[in-house]
Amino acid sequence: MISFGQYRNGNSFGHRLDARVKILAMVILSILIFQARGWEIYLLSAFLCAVCFISRLKFSAVREALRPLVLFAVLLFVMHLFFTDGTPLFPIPYLPVQITGEGLFRGLLISWQFLALALSGAILTMTTSPSDLVCGLESLLRPLRLIRVPVSDIAVMVSMALRFVPTLLEEYDRIKTAQMARGAEVETGRLDRRMKSLAALLFPLMVSALRRADDLAEAMEARGYARGPRTTMHQLSFGREEATALIVLGILLSLVVLSKY
Amino acid sequence: MAAEKRSLRGMAYASMFGALTAVGAYIMIPLPPVPVTMQTLFVSLAGALLGGYLGALSQVVYILLGVIGLPVFAGGKAGFGVLIGPTGGYLIGFVVGAFIIGKLTSLRQEPGLLWLMVAMTAGIGIVYTLGIIQLMIVAKLSFVKAIWVGLLPSLPGDMIKIVVAALICRKIRRRIFNKI
Repeated sequence: MISFGQYRNGNSFGHRLDARVKILAMVILSILIFQARGWEIYLLSAFLCAVCFISRLKFSAVREALRPLVLFAVLLFVMHLFFTDGTPLFPIPYLPVQITGEGLFRGLLISWQFLALALSGAILTMTTSPSDLVCGLESLLRPLRLIRVPVSDIAVMVSMALRFVPTLLEEYDRIKTAQMARGAEVETGRLDRRMKSLAALLFPLMVSALRRADDLAEAMEARGYARGPRTTMHQLSFGREEATALIVLGILLSLVVLSKY
Repeated sequence: MAAEKRSLRGMAYASMFGALTAVGAYIMIPLPPVPVTMQTLFVSLAGALLGGYLGALSQVVYILLGVIGLPVFAGGKAGFGVLIGPTGGYLIGFVVGAFIIGKLTSLRQEPGLLWLMVAMTAGIGIVYTLGIIQLMIVAKLSFVKAIWVGLLPSLPGDMIKIVVAALICRKIRRRIFNKI
């Protein structure tokens, strides 16, 4: 169904970089992408390509991760192309819609934003192992402990959820096929029947998810899981490479911010 | 030991609901007038089944999944930018909405179908209120236009989802009620 850009082992600059720096970079990049206009688009696109190159990600791997999202991007583009008010570019005979210059521009911008966001997310998940990712997240959220947010619990929960999203997606696919084979009418049929078959889709999914949660909790208990501060196999470290990455990020950020004023 | 055991199971359930909400973004059901996703259904269920605190925690987990780059937000989006973008208010609303649904549900010992639907309507109402406020601020839309874009298309779907969520909740509640 969807392959989230899955982690690929490697030893490039991008792989070695501290997970905290990478998450921070992802946050800053996604904000920049969201408000990008004009030349910033080229700058950010070039930056993303450079990051792909530095992380030695294969083109085919990136394409694989983005392929499921291209359809969404095309849909977004078409939607904005046809449904934005403005001056028509050229008349289309026999159709009640028109293509406007504003629509073309807006559609391109929105679908670029969408793909750039997806790409930066894919780069992060492809170069960082899930355990490092959660470890970095925990360390970034640590200041929230002061207001009594259970940060280490949340980090453990995120790693559990991370593990189960693909499993549940697969499970849903299987249940859907099974119910359709039994004649469930999710996409056609009367409204009350559709509601019934919707419940028949979601109920097994939830029961199986809860059963998995039971098993997981029991397994953790049996292995002596205790809440509280824990150590990790790989320590996060802040060195010269991290400093370099932060400086580059700072330059990018200040370039964009300075150009606004 | 008892308290610890309880909370570990609760944590597992909450993270499972975070994952379910993420999966819900990919479950598209063609209801008139626009296809709807199942995220708000799982928000309702998380609140009603787990209670306020764990329900809200499950939605925090869902948001964090998206923040670290998994394409789990509606339409395969990801990243922190979505959270502060035009539709980010809905995501923050998920946390608050699940909390409110949980609190309202736990007011009754044995909530009936009607009470569940009232609680879920209130919670989903909060989701849309926060969503529309952020939509108005970020996308600079007027109140009426924000309602047209952000509420009306998905309203029929949401009413159906509340009914379905209440039905599922009644069936499943006894299974996990004593375990958390």
